[in-house]
Amino acid sequence: MELAVETVGLTKRYGSLVAVNKLDLKVERNTIHGFLGPNGAGKTTTIKVLVGLLKPNEGTVKVLGQEVRGDMPDVRLSVGYMPELPKFPKHLKGWELLDIYGRMYGLTEQERREQIPKLLDMVGLKGREKDLIGKYSKGMQQRIGIAQALLNEPELVILDEPSLGLDPVGMVEVREIVKEIAKEGITVFVSSHLLFEVEQICSHVTIIDRGASLVSDTLQNVSGMLAGPAMLHVEVAKMSNAVVSAAKGLPFVSDVLQTGSTLRIQLTTREDVRAQVSQEITRAGGVIVGMSLEGSNLEDVFLQLVTKQQGGKAQ
Amino acid sequence: MTANAQGAGRTRPSWLSRFWAVVRYEMIWNIRKKKFIGILIIAFVIATLSWAVPVIFSSTTGQPISSNPDYAITFGAGGSFMFFLFALATVMNSISSEFESGTIVPLLTKPVSRTMVFLGKLFAAFIVILATYTILFAYIIIGGIAVYGPQNNLQLVPLSLLGNVVSTFIWIAILLAMGALSKSTIVTALIALGLFLALFLALPTVSVFTGPSPALNYVPGSGASGTMNITQGSNVMSMSINAGTDYIGVNLVNTVLYSSANVSFTKLNFQFGQNGQVVQLPPTPLYTEPMSLVALRSLGVAFVYIFVFLLIAWYALKRAQVLE
Repeated sequence: MELAVETVGLTKRYGSLVAVNKLDLKVERNTIHGFLGPNGAGKTTTIKVLVGLLKPNEGTVKVLGQEVRGDMPDVRLSVGYMPELPKFPKHLKGWELLDIYGRMYGLTEQERREQIPKLLDMVGLKGREKDLIGKYSKGMQQRIGIAQALLNEPELVILDEPSLGLDPVGMVEVREIVKEIAKEGITVFVSSHLLFEVEQICSHVTIIDRGASLVSDTLQNVSGMLAGPAMLHVEVAKMSNAVVSAAKGLPFVSDVLQTGSTLRIQLTTREDVRAQVSQEITRAGGVIVGMSLEGSNLEDVFLQLVTKQQGGKAQ
Repeated sequence: MTANAQGAGRTRPSWLSRFWAVVRYEMIWNIRKKKFIGILIIAFVIATLSWAVPVIFSSTTGQPISSNPDYAITFGAGGSFMFFLFALATVMNSISSEFESGTIVPLLTKPVSRTMVFLGKLFAAFIVILATYTILFAYIIIGGIAVYGPQNNLQLVPLSLLGNVVSTFIWIAILLAMGALSKSTIVTALIALGLFLALFLALPTVSVFTGPSPALNYVPGSGASGTMNITQGSNVMSMSINAGTDYIGVNLVNTVLYSSANVSFTKLNFQFGQNGQVVQLPPTPLYTEPMSLVALRSLGVAFVYIFVFLLIAWYALKRAQVLE
């Protein structure tokens, strides 16, 4: 497993406050890895250590296989980073900003001429590149933030709350951009507090709280990790006792509750057993008009883990 | 857009190309700063008035303008306020504002080291100050020739320019150090202004009572005041000399023009008369120094201040943690 980011025992303290506490983080290459946690969990601090803005007190950090120890500019050659609510010099025009940053990455004039219009188009700022950044809206600053993070054709893109401050249309566009860049083989490490966003775009997830990792796995495994049975909701036309008995007779069913034409079937397995349930109900004379499997989602897992970590207090 | 050669990484650009990118970043900022443009306009207005007023006066009174072959080299030497204000306008918020506004975050996450960012900002300030002073000097020379006739010693203009830039860089170094330490533009400006006023007003006031103590030459400012007697043919001309870091340009020019001249420092003596009036007594001679020593010492003192404060500024930026 090739890693884009790896931290071992990463600890960052501000005085007596432990912002990141012995964090072990592994981000596989070519994945979209969501980084979740409540406010103050240590997400931004971790990211700042990864990009060299902060020095860790303890632990090791590797980005794209290179160890990061403070200010190491060469490590950042293949990393794109968009900070949370990015701020850029107001006196520069959009084009000038990307041009100067491109020079810092060592892009040739030809590369800059090709890359900058493409990125401006991608983030929806085409036609506004000659405006001063001081005249950009918050959403436009966010967009140019994404563009500058992709300027160097990075192997790893780190996005800190990329949807923060965007309108709903902008949020959808950002998600599409993230999916698009991931298709190009770029590893995306994205911090977000929007769980639905992470669910939609990420293949892997790490949840942290109080600076420590609570869980880190594929989205599928994390979403399905909540203890407890899954529930199957079945809407049946021609409901009868035979249908209820047939459902109860299935080996993976622990309980069946009938409410009108709806059956709530409690399962003892987390496997997809809809086909067997459907077959048995149909055989008993029922006509299925709707069926949905209710399992745990990322939000349930997040809340359960964070609440447990914080001593049972709900967020 | 594709990920850059998986695992191979981007080719390492040269140090110089990245450094120039930082210089460019900073220079665009410097020349677009409203306060810089404002001070530049004021400087041009003052320069224009220096030769426009005699023209207006002459045209209204009908008296011809007397020639002044030393106008350009004398007026172009600038002064304490000019050095301080240009330094203030150029670098007052060069580091602090990056932290205040948050623009330091995208900058420091590019493949440029903090040392490179610092040197880039410094070099950009040097280019902007040098270019500004050169344009101003050229303007003064053209105006001087047009109004006061042919100008003497124009070959020494580069030396004067160099001196002015060094004098300005003392304040640039102080402002960068304050900015990097405080990360607050207002704190930087207030400390620098306080320091400037203390040096500009307090030290000459103190020197009235203490005399031109040599110690005055080791703090930024006008330094000790002395007199240089120049013998030209049968004439003996007396010229006032300030030995401080604000007069490096003037003193370098004087060193070239009057290489064997000495500067005498004397303590002025006063006494209150019976009716309360101030009576001036004969001055007490204190010490005499060669002009070249005065010039080189002020240059040396300036370099020490510049080096120390730049070192502080660099170290503070290098160690700064970007928390916001």
